[in-house]
Amino acid sequence: FSRRRERAARGLGAGGAMEFRLEAHRIVSISLGKIYSARGQRGGLKLHKNLLVSLVLRSARRVYLGEPGGECALPPRPGPPPPPDCERLRRGCRPLASEAAARGRPECPAESPRKRSAAERDPAAGYPGKKPRRETEQPPPQEDMETGNVASLISIFGSGFSGLLGKERGAAEATEPGQVCCEQPVLRSLNPWSTAIVAF
Amino acid sequence: MAGAGGGGNDIQWCFSQVKGAVDDDVAEADIISTVEFNHSGELLATGDKGGRVVIFQQEQENKIQSLSRGEYNVYSTFQSHEPEFDYLKSLEIEEKINKIRWLPQKNAAQFLLSTNDKTIKLWKISERDKRPEGYNLKEEDGRYRDPSTVTTLRVPVLRPMDLMVEASPRRIFANAHTYHINSISSNSDYETYLSADDLRINLWHLEITDRSFNIVDIKPANMEELTEVITAAEFHPNSCNTFVYSSSKGTIRLCDMRASALCDRHSKLFEEPEDPSNRSFFSEIISSISDVKFSHSGRYMMTRDYLSVKIWDLNMENRPVETYQVHEYLRSKLCSLYENDCIFDKFECCWNGSDSVVMTGSYNNFFRMFDRNTKRDITLEASRENNKPRTVLKPRKVCASGKRKKDEISVDSLDFNKKILHTAWHPKENIIAVATTNNLYIFQDKVN
Repeated sequence: FSRRRERAARGLGAGGAMEFRLEAHRIVSISLGKIYSARGQRGGLKLHKNLLVSLVLRSARRVYLGEPGGECALPPRPGPPPPPDCERLRRGCRPLASEAAARGRPECPAESPRKRSAAERDPAAGYPGKKPRRETEQPPPQEDMETGNVASLISIFGSGFSGLLGKERGAAEATEPGQVCCEQPVLRSLNPWSTAIVAF
Repeated sequence: MAGAGGGGNDIQWCFSQVKGAVDDDVAEADIISTVEFNHSGELLATGDKGGRVVIFQQEQENKIQSLSRGEYNVYSTFQSHEPEFDYLKSLEIEEKINKIRWLPQKNAAQFLLSTNDKTIKLWKISERDKRPEGYNLKEEDGRYRDPSTVTTLRVPVLRPMDLMVEASPRRIFANAHTYHINSISSNSDYETYLSADDLRINLWHLEITDRSFNIVDIKPANMEELTEVITAAEFHPNSCNTFVYSSSKGTIRLCDMRASALCDRHSKLFEEPEDPSNRSFFSEIISSISDVKFSHSGRYMMTRDYLSVKIWDLNMENRPVETYQVHEYLRSKLCSLYENDCIFDKFECCWNGSDSVVMTGSYNNFFRMFDRNTKRDITLEASRENNKPRTVLKPRKVCASGKRKKDEISVDSLDFNKKILHTAWHPKENIIAVATTNNLYIFQDKVN
């Protein structure tokens, strides 16, 4: 086992933040690989395992993209208190606004690109804890995160991994079989839920 | 009474028997997928990935004379499930036996429920030791006689024959589960049982195969909102209206069927708050509960998650009353265990007959016992190296960090392909069955 890798996964070690982000990238790759290889499994897709992989993918993706809520996957660090809404995020971003509930869509502020750009404009709203208030003030943007993202994932895998090139990855890792190299823009548009769950 | 006054550590565990092939090359069909003693402990059933069930029977020896309790020998072997193909979904349905549960004995025959991912079957196992002889119309070999040669009449008589054990499928409960069945549990009313898949729990009557009642449904209207699945379910041993189910989020819900027809709303929710200092990318995976078992008394229940065993008092929902660390040294290895899929291994757990000791498996063919009274624990290994009968097993120790002492094994030397997922404890005696990948080990306490 790689001690350095393990410590990075827990946010520890020298150069912690960068190492941690690299580790998150690696975990995203491994997770996507698992979801892909699960499709050919005898006995059909295992819902439980795919759900767990999706959860890991979601956490790692948040950290990698530097999205708010990413720190929920880490042990608390000394300094400013962590965002209070880790629990809500862990529960799958249950909609807080009733109109969102009526639409039956998961309202995950941390995963919505439009919401994130709004957060960037307003640094004070960087914490998920502040999002609920903003939701009630203005209707959340319509997000079609379903078929569009499945299509993008299918097209990615359909091209046999050759459609992706990881700029940050070293040559050694690029030659490993079964690894998926992910570019940031691709990652942003992925909804882990669609990919793993929509088969059912 | 087994376990009374003593515990996992006052007992000296001895090797008794090992069943299965000696080869290191394991045939996939031989991988053991479930182990279960019947209610008297006389019979021990195993199911494997090839869809077969093998039942062992304990020899009834003269206990005063013998140096050990009776040995288990093969009693019956049959093919329970075959691979199937779902043409609509273009999916193969595995024949692997996920669970076996014995029904309480009502007459001379034994009954068990066995299930794969989609279909549950009720099997009757009966003995035949007599056969009728002296038919009027048939020869002894079964050929029909020419009627013109029949000149006298006689009554056939029953004559003894070599014991034959027959297994026949009495009921087939099919087409009720969209998702993969993970649990079956027989009810104390002796009439019904439940089956659980990832999202639903169904209630069956043992006599009725063409319909079942859905009692729990956690499937969201929009599958994209799915955040947890059902991982195990069990009926309370004494209250026929009560059952529990565990989730991938580490919660256990207790439901009362008297409250409403659909038990989506739980009566009790058992959940322990997460320790924030242990948070990692894999916190959610390792909190997923892989097994839940009521104590024989019905007062407690035990859950197994990836790193620990927890005992819950049914009267206290906010935290377990006892927590035992199975292999805490793996906490720093979670990333690698995620990569090699070991983090998804579903370990089971079991109680001894007096509810004083609990047992569960680990890696490297190690298994662990925790004595609830003395608070002592022991690690033992299932290995053919100790295979002389009545050899006392030596306690094992894993060295987590620092200098490794003699006889200790370091974490990095553990064989993660050798995992003990399934264990069972005789309901009355100190006899345990421990399944490695394709072998079944039987250990007993030392009889003086």
